[in-house]
Amino acid sequence: MHRTVMPKRFTSMRLANVADLPDPGARGFDPCEEGRDTLFVVRRGEVLRAYRDACPHFGGTPMAWRKDAYLNGDGTRIVCHAHGAQFDIASGECLLGPCLGQRLTPVEIEVTSGGEIVLISA
Amino acid sequence: MNIIGPDTLVFGVDDVAACNRYLIDYGLLPMRSDDRGGRFEALDGTGIEIAHRDDPALPPALGTASMLRKTIYGVADAATLDAIAEELLRDREVRKLVDGSVESVDDMGFVIGFQVTTRRSLSLPAEPVNAPGAPAQRAPNVVAVRDDAVLTPRTLSHVVYFVPDAAKAEAFYVERLGFRCTDRFTGIGPFLQPAGTLDHHTLFMIQTPPFMKGCEHFTFHMGGPTEVLQAGTRFVAKGYQSFWGPGRHRFGSNWFWYFNSPLGCHVEYDADMDLHDVAWSAREAPMGADASQLFLFQHREKWAPGGPPPAGAKAE
Repeated sequence: MHRTVMPKRFTSMRLANVADLPDPGARGFDPCEEGRDTLFVVRRGEVLRAYRDACPHFGGTPMAWRKDAYLNGDGTRIVCHAHGAQFDIASGECLLGPCLGQRLTPVEIEVTSGGEIVLISA
Repeated sequence: MNIIGPDTLVFGVDDVAACNRYLIDYGLLPMRSDDRGGRFEALDGTGIEIAHRDDPALPPALGTASMLRKTIYGVADAATLDAIAEELLRDREVRKLVDGSVESVDDMGFVIGFQVTTRRSLSLPAEPVNAPGAPAQRAPNVVAVRDDAVLTPRTLSHVVYFVPDAAKAEAFYVERLGFRCTDRFTGIGPFLQPAGTLDHHTLFMIQTPPFMKGCEHFTFHMGGPTEVLQAGTRFVAKGYQSFWGPGRHRFGSNWFWYFNSPLGCHVEYDADMDLHDVAWSAREAPMGADASQLFLFQHREKWAPGGPPPAGAKAE
């Protein structure tokens, strides 16, 4: 018998604490329990952003080369490790590579006074 | 031109430690692996070289996101090497390097090298299969499945380029270096086989905008489909990101499994590619999901049917 599991929907969900993320660093999350990370949070200094883990080049392919490995070697840019496309961390804009001129899809997050990173919707 | 295939691909990367670790976990053998880079080989001595992108010994970058710096082809003998140098000297610079190899550039700007091949000939059995009606390939009591199987890639199979002008790029390899087109995706590009191998392709090219120019993927031949699936499963278990596969291509019939990588391109496991000789006529098909694979699977965590009996069975 085949059973379809509907993705969970929610209005907000705690992802992590800012202190849990290396600086610079990133971490992938699977809030809808799809079996793979579908968004990631990236931290670099004061900048904290969340994007869908979906390279605009092929319309939705995973970007890390290993769990949580979304950045280049020195942590200055987000990289899609399919073909090496490089993205600005703050804006999500592709600066070099196959999706030049396109940008990552932002995901809305909030950070509480205690540093909790909260996903607003997914 | 008796070109056998790629002996070595050279990459200039931004995260040397990550690339070294990646290639070792992929299954290649580290001949050298340190903070300057390394050389990682398959069983026959073909392999991948890693250096930091700022290493002055590297050929120049392509100016895109690609990290591929050079494709070094193995050729049969010194006479072939001389013939290639003479041919390319007609219209471009050809450098003779201290190791005796020659270096030049193709019509798309990819740096190419040629050397008398350093690959060792392999004498290994293929992955054996028992099938009704055919002589047994495994004797009685020889089991096929082993958790501790050694899964070292056998040889560097092929490299795939993104090129801004596939027709011009193909003409260079066919007319100047003696490659043959074995199959073609319409409007995309050709599968190319050099004269010194029967493998379906050692080079495939995909037409793209100029800002994508670079390496799409490279792959090593494994000993058979089980090795592709078992090596890929181990790679996933180590945390690496599957991109496409496992599956089996139509053109070339090779089994495939592609992964993301820190080398700016995909890295693939492949096995059981078709061989073709001059009697073969190239096929052509529009690129698409059906044309590019016979079947496609997706990895999932290990699972098995079973578990406790249903609650209703507890009665009596």
